[in-house]
Amino acid sequence: MNSKAILPEPEVVTQESLLLAAAERVGRIRRGRTAIHLHLSKLRPYNREEAHLRVAGRMLDPLVQIYRGQVFFLSNADIVLLCKDARPAELDAMVLRLRGLFGKDPLTYGDAGNGRDQFCDWYELATEYDAFLALARRLDDGVRRRNRGRQAAALPPIRPRQLHDALEKVANFDVAAVVRRQSAIRLTEREGAEIAYQEVFVAIAELQRALAPRLNLLGNRWLFQHLSQTLDQRLLAMVMESPLQRMPPMLSVNLNIATTYSPEFRQFVEAMAGRGVAVMVEVQIVDVFADLGSYCYARDTLQAMGHKVLLDGVTPLTLQFADIRRYGADLVKLFWSPDFLDRDADLDLGQATARIGMERVVLGRCDSEAAIRWGLGAGIQCFQGRYVDAMQAAMAMARCPQSKHCTLAQCMARHGVIAGPLRTACHDHQALDALPRLRAPTRPGAGGPA
Amino acid sequence: MTTRRLPGQEHFLLDYLRHLSRHRNGRGAVHIHLSGLLPANRREQHIRIAATAFESLVRALQGQVFVLSNTDLMFIFKDSCLGDVEGAVVRLRFLFSDDPLLADSGRERPGAFATWYRLDQDYDTLLALAKALGEDERDRRMAEQASQTIEHKSSAPSGEPLTPLLLARMEEVLGQADLANLLRRQTVCSIVDKASPQPTFSEVFVSIGDLRDTVLPHGDLTSDRWLFQHLTETLDRRVLSMLNKHDDRTLTGHISINLNVSTLLSPDFLVFDDNVRAGMRDTIVLELQTIDIFADPGAYLFARDFAHERGYRICIDGLTHLTLPFIDRDRLDADLVKIYWHPEMGDQDQVASLVEAVDRCGPSRIILARCESRQAVEFGQSLGITLFQGRFIEAMLSDETRRRGSLRNR
Repeated sequence: MNSKAILPEPEVVTQESLLLAAAERVGRIRRGRTAIHLHLSKLRPYNREEAHLRVAGRMLDPLVQIYRGQVFFLSNADIVLLCKDARPAELDAMVLRLRGLFGKDPLTYGDAGNGRDQFCDWYELATEYDAFLALARRLDDGVRRRNRGRQAAALPPIRPRQLHDALEKVANFDVAAVVRRQSAIRLTEREGAEIAYQEVFVAIAELQRALAPRLNLLGNRWLFQHLSQTLDQRLLAMVMESPLQRMPPMLSVNLNIATTYSPEFRQFVEAMAGRGVAVMVEVQIVDVFADLGSYCYARDTLQAMGHKVLLDGVTPLTLQFADIRRYGADLVKLFWSPDFLDRDADLDLGQATARIGMERVVLGRCDSEAAIRWGLGAGIQCFQGRYVDAMQAAMAMARCPQSKHCTLAQCMARHGVIAGPLRTACHDHQALDALPRLRAPTRPGAGGPA
Repeated sequence: MTTRRLPGQEHFLLDYLRHLSRHRNGRGAVHIHLSGLLPANRREQHIRIAATAFESLVRALQGQVFVLSNTDLMFIFKDSCLGDVEGAVVRLRFLFSDDPLLADSGRERPGAFATWYRLDQDYDTLLALAKALGEDERDRRMAEQASQTIEHKSSAPSGEPLTPLLLARMEEVLGQADLANLLRRQTVCSIVDKASPQPTFSEVFVSIGDLRDTVLPHGDLTSDRWLFQHLTETLDRRVLSMLNKHDDRTLTGHISINLNVSTLLSPDFLVFDDNVRAGMRDTIVLELQTIDIFADPGAYLFARDFAHERGYRICIDGLTHLTLPFIDRDRLDADLVKIYWHPEMGDQDQVASLVEAVDRCGPSRIILARCESRQAVEFGQSLGITLFQGRFIEAMLSDETRRRGSLRNR
């Protein structure tokens, strides 16, 4: 059960080298032996975290005990089971249970088009020993090669004492350097699109590099939430002093619900009202569940004051588990994932988003044209993400008289900040902060020459 | 007990009331008894939030709000906006609906949270109340000043909030301390009609109050939602490892334990799983919090399927009559849900949505917890609920044991 022991130095025992040794050892006693290679490495990343693999390994335990089996946890997350005289029906049942455990993952129900099961391969060693030995060699070779250039292991999650240190550092840290903005666009009639709102937020990866480069700030959900309460205050103060030439019609801030009750938030709202900017608060669903009463009260208060509330970070599973309409948010931000392109997911999602009401849905994390195309097909009208950033920057460059000095990537990066050297590098802040109307991305099948 | 206190406005209230002496008609007042809430629920920010409930009415010149030094609120308003005031009080009730102390006040005292006055009838009562509150405030202030002069340090607030540093120290202590004496059991019983309670399983948990008294006597462990959540994760793991260490009958089944999703997928849980006697897993209930489920729905899905595959039962813990309608037990594919009893459960304006939510969930799938009175059980039964937990149930069980004992001794 040591899936942790798979980050070895070269020439140190690895699961792959053990597998190869076992494969060579059984060369003379092949009869009755079966090997199953489970391709867990092909699962979607969120389905192959260490805990998942540990649990999957646990499901093999009964077979290991009864049939003197051996389990190998490979460094790519695959598992190989080798056992002797096992009853095929039992092996089948085990594979079926594992398949069920990952039943939501396309790996368990899709096929690659060649009719072969993608989830696992079976080897009857009596007849297929050579193929199995070749597999073991290939795996061992691969891991040896990879280990040569191996980087340090993943960063450890933050602990309470380190959180204390980080909070002390935040107090003297210039958050302006890590505050980012991102526009969301909304389709308008006649093939147009306009900036619906601009979200301002703290870029956690940047903050981590500055405050705790050897730690994963997001590695502990609850401790991160605690840290974010302090970040909220700093973000609000920073945005109030922002040097933007032109403020968007609506500014969206990602906040803890508790922050909306603070005097600082009230000051922020007043300052924005003074500049003619509407305010939207983006709340996390986990914060909503932490104190539903507090959320409902904050939502009612904000809406009564003419502000908007957005439910952030919604995924297909959230939609499956909860009736999102009940939360009474003005907007719901659904995070795009390439999984949406799977046909089954697409069907369920279409229905779920329709239930919320298309005018309330924002498709977030649109990092590709495929994302926008899926959203348009589903009837979504509001989009945010890297791809939208690129559209916006391309539009700005087309209009900007200074654009010959810059690349699209530079222009995108400068759009993304509200202060600091990146912004200073831009030659035309007027163009940078402009809120132009965009040409809407075309709907699939909406006619026009291909 | 509260860490910081807003300055009391008793003397403004008294002035204002005197001023209204000749304008009593068409005015009302509502006294919100926030001082009855748990200290953790009436910190400065809570009181400030609560006061904002009336802010729009104050701005529209419909009334005046006074924050008293015992954290109570008094709002005096024109009758024309009575509906809005009632709406604000409903929102406040919802805001504090999780407070267990409200549960103690019982349904027979409808004024436990808010007391209403009509100035034309109750003016003298209200004036007397304002005077009394003013005197209390003065006494309290003098007592505080006195104690501060006597010994500066003793005035340090007793409810020291949990900080990351304190949490780090606590974790170090918890890593070594034997928590066995903090381990508590409380029985979940099925009660049908007037029959005596039948134990179904018992919840094994660490008493947070006793833990605080042991490791951080002047602290308030629940002051920060997120740090507390982290602490419970540590405790859950400790409980698991304790159960793993004990020989023992404990693991023969018929228990429930609180778990975080991440703990359910940890090596500690797999060791626990090893120690459970075969065939007993379906009598073990794993209690998970909604906040944890929605923090990572994918992890929940996986953990749930694994737990079901092994034979355990899943219970969604920590719901209230207000949050129950927000979750869908069927879609979450949980075996049980646990809701906390609250005296307001039976209120006319809420009971309809509760009945609907209970029916949708399936009454036989619900545990009504924190039952402090017979009334709680009767109300639960009226909704079709059969599983109960709480101090009242413990009392019923010990009565039953005594009765059996005395029968035997006869």
